[in-house]
Amino acid sequence: MSPESARSLPVPSWAGQYLRDHALHALVVAFFILYPFAYDLFVGQFGLIAETVLLRPRTMLTVLWLGLFAMSFDFISGYTGYLSFGHATFFGIGAYFVVLGYNGQLPLLPGELPFMTLLVLGGVVAAVAAVLVGLIAFRLSGVYFAMITLGVSEILFVAAENFDFLTPGGSDPSDGVTPGTPSGIETFTPELGVPLVDALQVEIGAFGDTSLLGIDLGPIFNETSAAIVVSYFAIGAFVLVSYLAMQRIIHSPFGRVMIAISENEERAQAIGYNTFWYKMGAFAISAFFGAVAGGLLVGYQGFIDPQNSFFFLVTGFALVAAIIGGLKTLVGPLFGYFFLEWVEEFLAREGSGGGLQPFLEQNLPDSLLDATISGGLTVSKALDSFMTGHGEFYAGIIFVLFVLFVPVGLLGTLRLRFGTQSLSKHVSHRLGALGSETEADDQ
Amino acid sequence: MTALTTAALGSVEASLAAGVSGVPLAVGDISNLFTSPTELASVFIEGLAKASLYLMIASGLTLTFGLMDVINFAHGAFTMYGAYIAGTAVLTVGVGSMGAVSSVGVFVLLIIGVFVLLALLGVVFEVALIRRLYEYPPIYMILLTFGISITMEELMRIIVDYWNVNSGREAVGWSIPREETVPEVLQGTFDVAGISIGGLHPFQILLGVLTVAGIWYFLNETRYGLFVRAGVEDDEMARALGINIKRTFTVVFAIGSGLAGAAGVMLMWSPLWRVNVPLALGVLLPAFVIVIVGGLGSFKGTVVASVLVGMLDALATWAFQVKVVTFTDVDQLLIFAILVVMLILQPRGLFGVEGQGDHG
Repeated sequence: MSPESARSLPVPSWAGQYLRDHALHALVVAFFILYPFAYDLFVGQFGLIAETVLLRPRTMLTVLWLGLFAMSFDFISGYTGYLSFGHATFFGIGAYFVVLGYNGQLPLLPGELPFMTLLVLGGVVAAVAAVLVGLIAFRLSGVYFAMITLGVSEILFVAAENFDFLTPGGSDPSDGVTPGTPSGIETFTPELGVPLVDALQVEIGAFGDTSLLGIDLGPIFNETSAAIVVSYFAIGAFVLVSYLAMQRIIHSPFGRVMIAISENEERAQAIGYNTFWYKMGAFAISAFFGAVAGGLLVGYQGFIDPQNSFFFLVTGFALVAAIIGGLKTLVGPLFGYFFLEWVEEFLAREGSGGGLQPFLEQNLPDSLLDATISGGLTVSKALDSFMTGHGEFYAGIIFVLFVLFVPVGLLGTLRLRFGTQSLSKHVSHRLGALGSETEADDQ
Repeated sequence: MTALTTAALGSVEASLAAGVSGVPLAVGDISNLFTSPTELASVFIEGLAKASLYLMIASGLTLTFGLMDVINFAHGAFTMYGAYIAGTAVLTVGVGSMGAVSSVGVFVLLIIGVFVLLALLGVVFEVALIRRLYEYPPIYMILLTFGISITMEELMRIIVDYWNVNSGREAVGWSIPREETVPEVLQGTFDVAGISIGGLHPFQILLGVLTVAGIWYFLNETRYGLFVRAGVEDDEMARALGINIKRTFTVVFAIGSGLAGAAGVMLMWSPLWRVNVPLALGVLLPAFVIVIVGGLGSFKGTVVASVLVGMLDALATWAFQVKVVTFTDVDQLLIFAILVVMLILQPRGLFGVEGQGDHG
């Protein structure tokens, strides 16, 4: 800390130091805060071109909670090197806990608890579940650990698709569950924010609050529903706090042991650390935040089904995002999701929004669009079938290219280039001596 | 994308209509199984048939996973491609209306053809992609093949989409109807000495036995099998003795891919699987379970695990049919329960080799 800055500014001396330490964080947070405003501005100004290139704020919401989930996945898989291949277990537990807890379907819990309470309780339940799974799974390593976690998540997936207990109303459990459905339970109004301070709490969801901190956002946003923007800020703040908590843990002595486990578990044991309990602790923390991510999803969309919670591909895409963003970088997976969603939305229109296909549809000459390729297939129909809803195709190709050519991911590459943090031993094979050099300048 | 549920749906549609009660287990007429030898025998035969299917989907994986340490997540996608190729061919030829001999002839030709096609595809993938990562930690192999898998699955969706649009059938869905591809002789059931046997079962069992015999012969009696076993044991030493390990691994991967495709041809006719895109994931996960339960690196283990899982699956399906169990996807639950229990009791699997699959 430099004494000059402390004297010239009317703020506590630690604040400047803190800001300097977190300059990058502040930049990223500023980007995320400005994004919906920028989106509104650009789309208002440039119309379809901006819609083609920019991610819709609704998709940014998805990036937030899936990003948090992918971060929690990185927390265990990246930092301790134990591939949690059934991480969707915790996402699902968090999501289902909010629904079942709200509906009063859980023993010992009254119905209609506040959303924040359910969110945190769901996290705790997931952490306990992680300890139970860990008691068995951490006796194994490598592929066996990955398979046993996968086995647990698949069992829960099948159970969530079949147990009638989940849907007392008689609907098919595989179609999902909705909070507030049983008679006598009020409509689900999830409030997110600072507990006990009414002014700092907002109702999230597509039909939630439209004003934030007393400012009505309705008139400000023309291209996006204000409720989405409010939810975006509320959930974004929650994800930020979660990230800072995880980052704090990684940089604590506990986190150092986690990294030691991923680099050489036997050596960590030889020094005298009981690695078993460190792994359990890391797994429980990771499960907590994974469950919170699932709870946030339910908070916004007020609905959850097994396909989007306990399913194997939920873990699969967290893994994809973690690799693209950079394994063992914590925040990297969020950027990975951002990139992935951007590619998917650009090349594969989902529902009503954005992407290249409507742009081409509007700007290519009709003679070309109506030209026949073969049979009943016109260029227009071909564009429609290749560029609508097939995002996974492009995501898969990009993922393969990343694994082959950028194995440290986006953020990993940046950190390698500018050397701010230690790098994963996972890539030591490829990076050789380079990896051990960056090891030294660790904060 | 109810990948896993599609598998179970076929057999339980009737029971579903009757409604599923909230209690997963209820005491019913389980004693039936032990008092009636014919019922026991038909459950046993169905178990063998299921074991053969499991064996076929897992045998390709056990070669690449167990021997080369390549965790091939694209395995299920290969199976799905095999099923689609075969399904399209069968529809084009019109097997459904053929006689018994010619339809089985077409089927044998298809198995060989699909095996060769997918083995070639396997060679392409191995040389172009997989080979680059042998020196990396195994997690990278999972990542690479997972990427290949989602790309292949979505590509198949695009192809089917394109094909549907092109032929003016806008919304047909992904699947090829099974009824149009199964020859009449193999539909329905027949009775032997009071034992009811599904028409497909003897056929499936025969193919399962042939697969085991073929792989066993390849590994133990051929020169290449010797190379493979030597390469697994100590690839440096094998190389020093003049064995072309690179090419050996290519061949093993090609055979693994070919077997995955051939399994797809078989699954095309099975009422439990059918030809559709989610087949890829539906096949992959049970195949992994079998390889792990049997023990990595042991072909014998895979055979035993297939029989174990097949038998338990048949028992569970039977229990569902007689309503002892009223839980729709009980067989899916069972498979993963077997995995978890096995890993608790015997972490290396039934016949696992020490050290295999531990790292990463």
